[in-house]
Amino acid sequence: MLIYSLKRFGVAILVTFAVSVITFVLLHASGDPAMAMAGEGATQEDIEYVREHFGFNRPMLVQYIDWFVRALQGDFGISIYLKIPVAEVIAAKAPITAILGASALTFALLISIPLGVLAAMKPNTIFDRIALTIAVIGQAMPTFWFALLMMIFFGITLRILPVSGNTTWQHFVMPSIALGYYAMPAIMRLTRAGMIEVLSSDYIRTARAKGLRPRTVLFKHALRNAIIPVVSLSAVQLGFMLGGSIIIETIFSLKGLGNLAWQSIQRSDFDVMQALVLSIAMFYILLTYLADLLNAFLDPRIRVS
Amino acid sequence: MTVNTSKLPDPATILEPSPTQLLTRRAFGHTGLMIGGGILLIMLIMALFAPILAPFDPYDQDLAQRLIPPVWHDKGSWGHPLGTDNLGRDYITRIIYGARISLLIGFSAMLISGVLGTALGVAAGYFGGRVDMVITFLITTRLAMPVILVALAVVALLGSSLQIVIWVLGLLIWDRFAVVMRSATQQIRTMDYVTSARALGCSTLRIILSEILPNVANALIVVATLEVAHAVLLEAALSFLGLGVQPPEPSWGLMISEGKSHMFFKPWVIAIPGTAIFLLVLAINLLGDGIRDVTAPENRN
Amino acid sequence: MKAKLILGAGLVLSAVSLMAQPVLAGKADDTLTWSTTREVDVAIPYYNNTREIVILGRHAWDNLLYRDPKTAEYKPLLATSYKWVDNVTLEFELRKDVKFHDGTTFDADDVVATFNHVSNPDNGVLTKRNVSWMKGATKLSQYKVQVNLNSPFPAALEYLSGPDAIFPAEIWATARKDAKGKMDYGTIAPIGTGPYKITEMIPGESVTMEINKDYMSGSPKGKPSIGKIIFRTVGDAEAQMAELLTGSMDWIWDIPKDKAESLKEMGAVTVVNAPTMRISYIAMDRADRAKGTPFKHKKVRLAVAHAIDRAAIARELVGGSSQVIHSACFPTQFGCTQDVPKYAYDPKLAKKLLTEAGYPDGFEIDIHAYRQREFTEAVIGYLKKIGIKANLKFLQYKALRGKVWEGKAPFHQMTWGSFSVNDVSAITSHFFKHGRDDYCRDDEIKKQLEIGDTNTDPKIRKAAYKKALIGVQENVCWLPMFTYTKNYGYSKDLDFTPTSDEIPRFFTAKWK
Repeated sequence: MLIYSLKRFGVAILVTFAVSVITFVLLHASGDPAMAMAGEGATQEDIEYVREHFGFNRPMLVQYIDWFVRALQGDFGISIYLKIPVAEVIAAKAPITAILGASALTFALLISIPLGVLAAMKPNTIFDRIALTIAVIGQAMPTFWFALLMMIFFGITLRILPVSGNTTWQHFVMPSIALGYYAMPAIMRLTRAGMIEVLSSDYIRTARAKGLRPRTVLFKHALRNAIIPVVSLSAVQLGFMLGGSIIIETIFSLKGLGNLAWQSIQRSDFDVMQALVLSIAMFYILLTYLADLLNAFLDPRIRVS
Repeated sequence: MTVNTSKLPDPATILEPSPTQLLTRRAFGHTGLMIGGGILLIMLIMALFAPILAPFDPYDQDLAQRLIPPVWHDKGSWGHPLGTDNLGRDYITRIIYGARISLLIGFSAMLISGVLGTALGVAAGYFGGRVDMVITFLITTRLAMPVILVALAVVALLGSSLQIVIWVLGLLIWDRFAVVMRSATQQIRTMDYVTSARALGCSTLRIILSEILPNVANALIVVATLEVAHAVLLEAALSFLGLGVQPPEPSWGLMISEGKSHMFFKPWVIAIPGTAIFLLVLAINLLGDGIRDVTAPENRN
Repeated sequence: MKAKLILGAGLVLSAVSLMAQPVLAGKADDTLTWSTTREVDVAIPYYNNTREIVILGRHAWDNLLYRDPKTAEYKPLLATSYKWVDNVTLEFELRKDVKFHDGTTFDADDVVATFNHVSNPDNGVLTKRNVSWMKGATKLSQYKVQVNLNSPFPAALEYLSGPDAIFPAEIWATARKDAKGKMDYGTIAPIGTGPYKITEMIPGESVTMEINKDYMSGSPKGKPSIGKIIFRTVGDAEAQMAELLTGSMDWIWDIPKDKAESLKEMGAVTVVNAPTMRISYIAMDRADRAKGTPFKHKKVRLAVAHAIDRAAIARELVGGSSQVIHSACFPTQFGCTQDVPKYAYDPKLAKKLLTEAGYPDGFEIDIHAYRQREFTEAVIGYLKKIGIKANLKFLQYKALRGKVWEGKAPFHQMTWGSFSVNDVSAITSHFFKHGRDDYCRDDEIKKQLEIGDTNTDPKIRKAAYKKALIGVQENVCWLPMFTYTKNYGYSKDLDFTPTSDEIPRFFTAKWK
């Protein structure tokens, strides 16, 4: 187990490194950081000065190594626009996105697991149909459109929820639903499939035959086993949600990482963009790593292979 | 799905339906597949025959005819069945032309990502070993990168145009192709016909093209549909944020973006293009699910 | 498992409620929250020329003079009296009872230091026009100063009562250095003498001002009444509107025509339409700064002028009292005339001109814009009809301004509010004296503008400006589009009067 987890950890580190290289190259090949840094109204001379002074005229590899060495020491550069260290900016905005992600995932789990279980218990009935319909609709609904529709309905027609900002918990309701909705279908399908498999397995049949109460069988034995893959899927979905938060946070004016990402893109704030892509990727890598470990812990077959 | 009716069936098939007939029968019996296929067919027709079907020119603005509501609204009329937009352009015309953009981007991005992902996936599955290790690593890396964020950043820095959007999306969403093709190839490469082809001395490329690919085709089609849907949604999101297709092109995502400033008082301006995106993605997903069910009924659920 | 889930949900909810703070807005909290979609980073008016800072500047700082928005009369503000000594010297007696927000006393040293600082081109004041007429100031006694002009400049009083605010003398030395080692004066503390103090500034998000309880009595600005004024950037216009409707926002403006009409029908908030001094224009690269665009051909520029139905845009999209303008100035400004060559909407003629210029199939070009996307989209629609494929590049104001200055925006639709200065020197002279905003670069126009800017005889000025304005239109390098009107939407609790200079004076606003 230790060897396995170390090996996976090594891969995780390598992936993080690869993401940082790719992002660095992509951003620097697509735009000109010297021009962005020199600011509006800068003359060609100013831009050349910045290019020289900050070393943007060096080969990309050298620049990357320079960035990498500083990043290892926790220095991710300074935001061109906000003029504050990038790490500080990100740390200040992260809690909002963390709350959004956690509540979105909670929402998705609270809806999709019961639906998935119900659908599995009564396959091909009305529950199953409803669950399937929600899954199919959820996957086809553009997130931003769904968010706007909610804004119209709950914000303006009913006026029960605030539509922008992040001052109270009510502000997080619509964004969490909009973000969580997209993750629901996958979780529900997996719960349903897992439950159907477990329910038809021998040990459940045995448990039933022993005369245990159906409820005990369902929650204590079946769900516990069926939920294992759901946990790792949830980790992956949470990672995706962070990526998707850019649209949701922009629409609902939540001042979190997604909003920061969108603004940094508009301001060509290179160092912030680079650090954001990297931190979201790292979070995803961490989540999948933990999920892998959990799976390996629960399913010894993985460890061996 | 095509049925050949010109040939007379030989007696054996009357007794025992041929695989094609079985497939066809299953396909027509599959509600989801039929609905999805039907909607997609309509969208394709809309896209192909837009100039014939559309009552107006999609760019023709008439500021005196702005924001006319659709026909079901009290003030609507059949003159503009879905009303007009903020600049007085006919909405149904723009929806019809918009199908072109969505489908073009969806299919082109899918083709790019399909070629890339399939090549990587088949290579990983077929060669195994180090090749597999490197490619798996690439897939993991790609999965760790937030698609929307990277797409937005790159498009913002490069400047957006139809081609750029297609390439950026195509180069970002190949992961699922690679994952699925890798495991499908792994399963097939040990099968008899592949081993025998190898024993006969066929070249690797030939084995892959003639033995492996046809056998992973079903999985490929299913992933392809999913990725078309994925690309359509991503394009809509990019255009909605102003970094995708640029005005005055009639992209559905862009139409929502343009209609957004009127959404509180005239909700149909975003409801209509949003429904169009929803229907298209729904249709493609239903089609994909249907194809999977029909071609591999044992894999249902 | 379920228990854990519930526990998790509980944790999340409690975390959320921990951050919950009451939303400050409205009469009950004595807090006026207003908003635009634009972000504010630098709070020092000389170093930021966005409208939001112009507005905040009038609240936090005072000028020597104040122009009464009703009577247009110049009243002494930080001064007690003023007089022209000759046509290049102004003399001011100063008030003795004024304190800056940090408690220091205001006197002649502050005026002298401020004007000597801003009039020095090395100090990089953003809008040069506001200060370039000044040579500097000299102290006569502790409460008496002279402002010296470079040459006769009739609009001096207008600038002294508008953008040229007074800062504490010592403040400039506290500026931090920027990456290039230059002093970045945008970093000084926002300290003025005005009716409100800037107490908090979160770059890109909000600026909070609190009432200045020690504000001088007898100021022509009046006595401020509302306790707290918060400016908050809400990037999304719909979110802004929704916040206004649901009461977490008290004041917004720039509401598009259709929305204003619907909002008015609803009746939940006060909706007012007021004319403004802002105009919209399209600049075309006659000077060929971007090298090789079709706009170097006069017939192409003429074709563009004839292709756009400006009247329809003004009537249908802008609405209110918006009108088409034909010359490069706001109609009420001194020296402005509509007696210039006019270009009527005529797509056929436009197409013909385009063909004659050698572009029978049109061409493709980027059009840059930053404000009211739909207005530019309408322009794009008209251009499409004559075969010009204009690709919209929609940028933030500061980003676009940079591009324009670099000569990289050969075709752009922008707006100009003349800093609410009612004199063509604030617009025509700004654009056509070969500055960084000038894509026309015609020597004759420049010559005439210089005559107008430096002469004190109104007749000579008018004649010179007219020649310049005609020159601009004959060269078709700048297509004046229409005048803006502003739709304001604000809480029914608020007693507020809009003014045409686009400077909401919250210091005169009250709760009902």
